[in-house]
Amino acid sequence: MRLDAPDIVDSIAAQYVLGTLSARTRSRVQTLMRVNRQLADAVLSWEERLLPLSESVAPVTPPARVWAAIRQRIESGRAPAESPRSIWDNSRLWRGLAVVGFATAVALAVVVFTPPVERPEQTLVVVLAGQDAKPALIASADRTGRTLLVKAVAPVEVAADRALELWALPPAGNPRSLGLIPSSGVARITLPATADAALASVPALAVSLEPRGGSPTGLPTGPVLFSGPVQRLY
Amino acid sequence: MPADTEKQVEKSARLMELLARTALADQRAFAELYRLTSAHLYGVALRILRESGAAEEVLQESFVSVWNHAGSYVSSRSQPLTWLTSIVRNRCLDHLRRREVETIAIDDDEHGMTIADEGPSPLELLLSGADARAVRNCVEALETGQKQAVALAFYRGLTHSQLARHLKQPLGTVKSWVRRALERLKACLDAAGIVR
Repeated sequence: MRLDAPDIVDSIAAQYVLGTLSARTRSRVQTLMRVNRQLADAVLSWEERLLPLSESVAPVTPPARVWAAIRQRIESGRAPAESPRSIWDNSRLWRGLAVVGFATAVALAVVVFTPPVERPEQTLVVVLAGQDAKPALIASADRTGRTLLVKAVAPVEVAADRALELWALPPAGNPRSLGLIPSSGVARITLPATADAALASVPALAVSLEPRGGSPTGLPTGPVLFSGPVQRLY
Repeated sequence: MPADTEKQVEKSARLMELLARTALADQRAFAELYRLTSAHLYGVALRILRESGAAEEVLQESFVSVWNHAGSYVSSRSQPLTWLTSIVRNRCLDHLRRREVETIAIDDDEHGMTIADEGPSPLELLLSGADARAVRNCVEALETGQKQAVALAFYRGLTHSQLARHLKQPLGTVKSWVRRALERLKACLDAAGIVR
C-alpha cells in the first residue's frame, strides 16, 4: 500500500471508514494506523464526517444478558497490577485526568467566563485538575499575548526540595517544559510565541513534581499531579 | 444556539464525563454510559450484521474494550458518540470480513446479498440520517449510483466487489462511484464545517 501521497492516505482512510475495504486491506490499514499518524488523523476526520450518518439507525435495546456478560468480564478481569513505571507511561491515567479536566473546564468556563457583552472571546483557558477531578490550577492567556497566567486555586503542598513544572503535551512526541510554577498565588510564564502559536498543536497541559530547579533531563521525571485540556473560547 | 444543538452539546459533555470516569475505573459511570448508548450502538451493530447473536457479541466486546481503553479517548479529537460508534462499527466490519473468509467466497453467494432488510432501506437511512444533520444537501447532491453505493457500504458493510455484484455494475464503475461520492461528500461536509 503506497502511503506517500496525502490524497492516497485520505482516500484509503475514507474507504476504511465507509467499510468497503477487503479483509486484507482492512487489517493492513489497522496496522499502519498505529505507526502512521497522518493515516490515523485522516481516519478520525472521516469518522467525524461519516459516522453521524448512523444516527438515523433506530435504537434497539439489547437483551439484559449482554450487560450481565460485560459486567462479569470487567469484574473478573479487574485490577491488573500497575507496573511501577513512570506515571508518564500511564496514558490511561493522564488522559482520563485530561478528560475529567475538560468536563470541569466546560463547567468553569461557563461560570467564570460568561462575557458581560457579546463579543468574540480571545482567551485560552486550561483548568488543571488532579485525580480527584477538583480544579487545582487555572491557566489562561490572551491568544495574541505571550503571557500565560497560572493561578493556584488553592495552595499546593510541595516539599522544600521539590518544584512544580508546567508542561505542554503535544499529541505526539515529548512533553515540552513551559517553566516552573509556584505552589500558590499567580505565576506569569512567558511563552516562546503568542499563545495562539505556542499552543497551536497542544491539546493539553500538565504539571509534574520535579526536583527543585526543575527536571534535570528536560523531560518530566516525577508524577503528574494535575492535567487539563487547552480550551479556546473563540 | 438552537435547542436541539444545545441538547446535543449537553449530551456530549455528559458522555465525555462518563468516559473520563470510566478511564479511572468508575464502574457506576460505566454502567450509566452503557445505559445511555447501548441501544443506539446495538441498533448500529444489528443493522450491519443483521443477526442478533453476532450483534450481541460485538456489543459485548466493544464495551469491554471501552472499559479497558476509555483512557485513550481524546475529547479534543472526536465526539464521544462518534468514538463509541467507531469501535462498534469497526468490530462489525471485522466480523463481517472474517465471516466472509470463513464461508469461502461469499462472492458466489448471491443469496447473502439479497436478504431483504426489515424497515427502511440503506438509501432511506442515508437520506434520513442526512436529514437529522445539516448535511442533507451534501448527500442529495450525489448522483443516484453514488448515493446507492455509499448507502449499501455504510449501512450494510459491503465491499467494492460485493457492491459491484449487488448493483450489477462492473467493479471499476462501482469503485469510481464510491471514490467520487467520498470526494464530493468531503468537499461539501468540510465546507459546511462538519469536521473541526
